[in-house]
Amino acid sequence: MKLTVAGNLKEFADGLTVAKLIELEQVETPEYITVSVNDEFIASDSFESHVLADGDAVEFLYFMGGGR
Amino acid sequence: MAFSNEQLERYSRHIILKEVGAKGQKKLQAAKVLIIGAGGLGAPAALYLAAAGVGTIGIADADAVDLSNLQRQVIHATPDIGKAKVCSAKQSMQAINPEVQVNTYQCFVTAANVMELVADYDFVLDGTDNFPAKFLINDACVLSAKPFSHAGIIRFQGQLMTYVPGQGPCYRCAFQNPPPADAVPTCRQAGVIGAMGGVIGSLQAMEAVKYIIGQGDLLCGSLLTFDALKMEFRKIKLPRRDTCAVCGSQPTILAAFDYKQAACDLKPAT
Amino acid sequence: MADRVEFAIDETVDITDVVCPVTFVKAKVALEELDAGQILAIRLSDGEPVVNVPRSLKDEGHQVLKLADNCDGTYTLLVRRMEED
Repeated sequence: MKLTVAGNLKEFADGLTVAKLIELEQVETPEYITVSVNDEFIASDSFESHVLADGDAVEFLYFMGGGR
Repeated sequence: MAFSNEQLERYSRHIILKEVGAKGQKKLQAAKVLIIGAGGLGAPAALYLAAAGVGTIGIADADAVDLSNLQRQVIHATPDIGKAKVCSAKQSMQAINPEVQVNTYQCFVTAANVMELVADYDFVLDGTDNFPAKFLINDACVLSAKPFSHAGIIRFQGQLMTYVPGQGPCYRCAFQNPPPADAVPTCRQAGVIGAMGGVIGSLQAMEAVKYIIGQGDLLCGSLLTFDALKMEFRKIKLPRRDTCAVCGSQPTILAAFDYKQAACDLKPAT
Repeated sequence: MADRVEFAIDETVDITDVVCPVTFVKAKVALEELDAGQILAIRLSDGEPVVNVPRSLKDEGHQVLKLADNCDGTYTLLVRRMEED
C-alpha cells in the first residue's frame, strides 16, 4: 500500500500500525511524537492498535523547545 | 491623526501597499504587541515590529545579555554584555524607531504574572526557550482569548503556528503536555543556527503584522515547519482536539499554572 | 469641452514639499481620508511627480479627472476617490 509520510509518497506492507511506522521511519524522540493521520490526531495509546490504510497521509509533529 | 511628512517617508513602503495603506499603518500605530523572550526569536521580531511602527511593544525577559547570546540575538551587541536584555532590546528598538513605546518587564513570566501581562496587549509572541513557558503562554492566551504566535527552533529546524481565539487549535491541541525535562533536546544542548531565529522570528513578526492589519491567512489551523538543511517549508494541517485540556469542549485547565520542571531548565541560558 | 467642466473640490493636498516615493504616498494617504466619490486637488511639482503620481493613483483604481498647469512650475491634479475593493 502507499502512504504519504510527511509529504512523501512511500510504499509499505499492508497492515502497518502507526507504532511500526514510527519505528520504520526512525522518528526522533518517538515517545514524544504527535501523529496525525488524514488531518486527525491519533492518541498515543492507539499507536499500537491503529492500522494504516492505503492512501493515508501521516504527519509527525515534533516538540521544538528552543527560542532563545 | 494625520501623518507627518517624516512618518509618510518612514512608512512609505508600507503605505504604498494596497493591503496596508494609511489605514493599516494607523492600525499598526494603535497596536500593542507583547514579546516574551528577548532572544533568538524575540530579537528579530522586536526589531521588525519596532521598525514597522507598532505603537506599543512590551518585552519580557529576566536575563542579562551573555556572550553566548550574540551568535543569534541580533538585537543585542557586544557592548551590551551584562546589561538586562530588556534594556538592551529597548535601546536597539528605539534607535531604529523612536516613535515606538517600549514597555520592559525584567522578570520571568509565571502563572503569577502572565494573565496580567497579556491583558494589556492585542497580540502575544512566544519567543521563550522552554516547554513550561510555552505551555504557560498558550494557556494564558487561550484563557484570556488573546491571539498569539508560537514558535520553536533547534539545530537547523524551526516551526511556528498562530492561535486565534474561537478559530484554530491551540498549541496544547497539538502537543498536549510538555515532555519531561531533558527528554527533548534544547538549543543549549543541541545548538541552533543563528539565522534560524531570524527566519522564524521574522515569520512571527509577519503573523503579528498580518493579524493587526487584518490581511491574508494566518497560520491558524496549521503548523509551518522549516528544515534549513533541505531548505524546505511545509505547512501541516493542525486539527482541533476536542479533548484539549484548555480549549476543548470540557476543559480541565481553568487557570494558568506553572509546570514544576527542573529549575535548571528555567535558569538563564549561559 | 471636458476642460471646461468644473469640479467641486472636497480636499486639497500639497505634495511639492516631498520627494518620490513620498509624493505618491502623501497623495494616496490624503485620498484614503476621503469618502468614495469625493474629489482631491493635489498640488505637485513639474517633472517626475507629474509623470508618476497620476499614473500611480490610476493604478490604485482612482479616477484622474484633470491636470492643470499652474504656470509656476507646479500642477494641480484633480482625482476622484473610488470605492475600495
